[in-house]
Amino acid sequence: MIYFYDGTKDAFLTAFLLAYPDEDAVLVSGAKQLSIGQKTVFVRADPERARRAAIRLLELDKDCLHDLDLLLRSGQKDRDTVAFEYFRLIAARGCPVRKMLAEDAVIAAMECIRRVGFEVHRFHGFLRFMECESGALYAPFSPDNDICDMLVPHFRTRLGLFPFVIHDIGRRKAAVYDGEHVFTAPLERAELALSADETAWQDLWKKYYKSVNIPSRERLKQMRSYMPVRYWKFMPEKNENS
Amino acid sequence: MGMISEEKLKILTESAKYDVSCSSSGSGRKNAGGIGNGYVAGCCHSFTPDGRCISLLKILLSNDCIFNCRYCMSRADSDVERATATPEEICELTIDFYKRNYIEGLFLSSAVVRSPNHAMEQLLLTVKKLRTEYNFHGYIHLKGIPHADERLVHEAARYADRMSYNIELPTERSLKLLAPQKSKESLLAPMKQLQRERRIFREEKRKGHFLPAGQTTQLIVGASPERDGQILRLTQSLYRQTGLKRVYFSSYVPVVHDALLPDTPAGALREHRLYQADWLLRFYGFDAEEIVGEDGDLSPDFDPKCAWALRNMHLFPVEVNRAPLEMLLRVPGIGARSAYKIMEARRYARLGSKISKKCASP
Repeated sequence: MIYFYDGTKDAFLTAFLLAYPDEDAVLVSGAKQLSIGQKTVFVRADPERARRAAIRLLELDKDCLHDLDLLLRSGQKDRDTVAFEYFRLIAARGCPVRKMLAEDAVIAAMECIRRVGFEVHRFHGFLRFMECESGALYAPFSPDNDICDMLVPHFRTRLGLFPFVIHDIGRRKAAVYDGEHVFTAPLERAELALSADETAWQDLWKKYYKSVNIPSRERLKQMRSYMPVRYWKFMPEKNENS
Repeated sequence: MGMISEEKLKILTESAKYDVSCSSSGSGRKNAGGIGNGYVAGCCHSFTPDGRCISLLKILLSNDCIFNCRYCMSRADSDVERATATPEEICELTIDFYKRNYIEGLFLSSAVVRSPNHAMEQLLLTVKKLRTEYNFHGYIHLKGIPHADERLVHEAARYADRMSYNIELPTERSLKLLAPQKSKESLLAPMKQLQRERRIFREEKRKGHFLPAGQTTQLIVGASPERDGQILRLTQSLYRQTGLKRVYFSSYVPVVHDALLPDTPAGALREHRLYQADWLLRFYGFDAEEIVGEDGDLSPDFDPKCAWALRNMHLFPVEVNRAPLEMLLRVPGIGARSAYKIMEARRYARLGSKISKKCASP
C-alpha cells in the first residue's frame, strides 16, 4: 500500500500509525509513478492521532521528533522512505537506534540528517546579504533543503541590531527578523531599494576575490567540490556579469 | 566616507595572499552589543579558483617594508607598487564585508614600516579601533612583527582572537641566509611570551580576552634544504612545547628571483604529505619519530599513515570488534570519525567486513 501525505510532521505521524503494521507500506509526500495494481491511500493530518503517536515515540526515544523535523526538511527524493524506515526501527526495537550503525535504515537516516545540518553550516558561510536603503539586509538563496528558518539564530546573534530577510527563492518563503520578532512567511518576490553604496561594496568584494587568488595554483575541481556551482547564483564574486 | 580604493585593496591583498593560514576556529567570543561573534568550528565564506577558502579578510596594513627577506615580494629592494591603508579604511572594509556575510573576520598583517615598533603600533591601533569604536566582535587574527616591544605584543593579544609569528624557515642557518634581519630568537621570544601570559590569564580566570584561539605559525617548504623529518620534529616540538594550535606549511612558489633561492616551486604534493603527517601528530596519536627519520623525506607514493602501516605489517590485520581505539586510528582508510563510529556501533552488534566498510565511509 502507498500512503500519500502532505509532508508535514502531523501528517507523517498520522500516516505512520496507519502504515506501521503494513509490511509493504511506502510513504510518499511528493509525486510518485504508480505501477499497475498498486493500492493507494491519502492520509490527512489528524492532530489527535499525531499527538498520540508523538507521545508513544517520545517514550521510546526522547530526541526522535527532532530527527523527524530534520528528515522532513530534506530535499532528498527518498526522504519519506528514509524517515519511515528509521521510525519503524525505533518502534520495533523500542529504544533509541541512532547509534546502531550496523542497520541500513540508521545509516540512511543519519546521512540524510547530516546533509541538512551540513547545508545549514555551508550557508552560514555562503549566504550573501545586500544592504537596502532602510539599512535592512536581504539575502536570496536557493538551498537543497528547507532550512531558511534554521539560519536565523546564527545571523540574529551575529548581526545584532540589523533587521534581515532570508529568502528561499525556490520554496517561495522567507525567514524574517524585524529587529524584534522572528517569523516565516510565504514570499514570491521582493521589491528592493538598495543602499547607495551597495554596488560599490560588491565591486570591492569582487576585486578582493580576484586579488587573493593564486593563479599559478589553479585547482578548479577542488573549488567546485567545496563550493558547488548550484550555490553560485547568489554570490556576487561568482557573478561577474551581474 | 573611508572606502578604500580598489587599487590599494588589490596591492595590499596581493602581498598578503601567500600567507596560508585562514582558519577562523577556536574562538567563542560573544557579540557584546555591536556586530559579530566567534564561530568555534570556524566557517568558510567562499573558495577561490586555487581551491583555497576565504574565511578571513586577509590583508596588509602596508607593504612598505624596511626588511629584506629574500623570499618575500614586499622586501625592501623589490620593485613593487607600495601602498599603506589607514586604520579607518581597514575598519570600514571589515565591517561592510562582514555585514554582508562575505567574511568571518579580519586577518591583519603588515610589512615592517619604518621600524618594528611603528608597524606593531599601527596594527594595534587598528584592531583596538575595530573592537572599541566600531564595536566589532568577530574574529581577528593578528600577525606579530618580530623585534617589536613586549608591551605592544601584550596589548595586541587583548584584542585579537589569534596571533601568529611566521617562523618561515625551519633552521637558524636558513633564516640567517634568507631573512637576515630576523633571528630565531626574535620569532620564538614573543611566541613564548604570549604562551606564558595566556596560561596565566586562563589560570587566574581574568576578565576580558587573551588570544582565545591561541597562536599559529607558518613554515615555508622547499625554499631551503631542510628535510621533511626535520620539519616534522620542529612541528611536533611547537605543538608540545610552545602550545601552538596549528603549524601551516606553505610550499615555496618563486615570486621573486634570487640567486639564493630555487627557481622551481616545491610542488603541492610535498605540502600535502606534510599536512597529512601533521594530522597524524594532532589527531591520531603518532610521534614524529614514527613517521619519518630525521634526515628523511615523506614518501611521494604513499600517504604517511599507509607508509607506516607498510613498515609495521606485523600489526595487521586488525580485528575491528576488539581493537582498542588507538589501534583503529592507525589503520589506513579509517579516519578519526570512523574510528569513533566503530567504537559506538560495535556496542550494539558484531561488525562484519561489509559493515566496517560502511562505517569507514564519511
